[in-house]
Amino acid sequence: MAIPAAAAIGAFGTIYGAAARTFLGVPLTVVSSIIVFSGSLQFTMVALLAAGAGTIPLLLAACVLNLRHLVLGAVMRPRIEARLARRALLAFFLVDETFGFSVAAGDAQPREHRGAVTERTLLATGVACYAAWIIGTVIGVLGGGLPGVERMAGAVFPVLFIGLAAMATATRSQLVRTLAAAALTIAFGLALPDWRMVAPIVAGVLVALPAGDG
Amino acid sequence: MSALSLVLVALLTYASRAVSLVLLPRPNPRIEAVLARIPGPIFASLAAAMLLTDVRSFVAGPTLWAAGGALLASPARSLLGCLLGGAIGYAIGVLL
Repeated sequence: MAIPAAAAIGAFGTIYGAAARTFLGVPLTVVSSIIVFSGSLQFTMVALLAAGAGTIPLLLAACVLNLRHLVLGAVMRPRIEARLARRALLAFFLVDETFGFSVAAGDAQPREHRGAVTERTLLATGVACYAAWIIGTVIGVLGGGLPGVERMAGAVFPVLFIGLAAMATATRSQLVRTLAAAALTIAFGLALPDWRMVAPIVAGVLVALPAGDG
Repeated sequence: MSALSLVLVALLTYASRAVSLVLLPRPNPRIEAVLARIPGPIFASLAAAMLLTDVRSFVAGPTLWAAGGALLASPARSLLGCLLGGAIGYAIGVLL
């Protein structure tokens, strides 16, 4: 199931590579994908650099866009039983897609196997997505890429997250929370388009706060 | 952009991933109950955010059709079913 996501990430990597090399140069573009590994942040960096932004706006953007990792990590923490060093390794691979796959895979298991399956899935999907992102970036900086595939890749992520949401929604209460979060995100994203990638975390936390049956 | 700025961005990104997952202890049961309710809404919200553009509108046709196909398949609660529904929706969107 991670293969379509990794393929789509690779396709976006080619777009990033092609767009970023003008502003970062070839070596830094590749290095950025190796050490940052965050599509939304790296595309934002390119947009800011294109607008002539300096270091401070770049760091502020990184702070804002990375806020969601705090929540993803907090949700993941009770599901991970590994020791500190292994958690430190796993943390590097914590992106939206790998979070989705590992939570879904772990939650489908009996409680005693949940931690191990969550960790294995986070590592396996993390390595696959990371490799795809770097390979895509290299292809992009070298001038490669397939426009048709890149257009199709844009459709993979919403479909993937709809599927993951469906898997995580088992009760009427969860369905109400899930629909409410999506509606809140759309309202937030239409009102403040530049902040729409922060909206999922705000909406997800807000709808989870009221007590209920799940 | 300098190499130092890039390294700072990378450090901030890793730190944001590691703070909750590595440094914090397991949350207490009450917090854990709230955290357990978050994944479904976050997945749906991420999908919703990806259907929006920078200019207060929704994305182009085929992607919306793909999302519609996945939504139609979602009551089955199968990821594969949603991917298939999305693929069918995308194909319809391209044809229209």
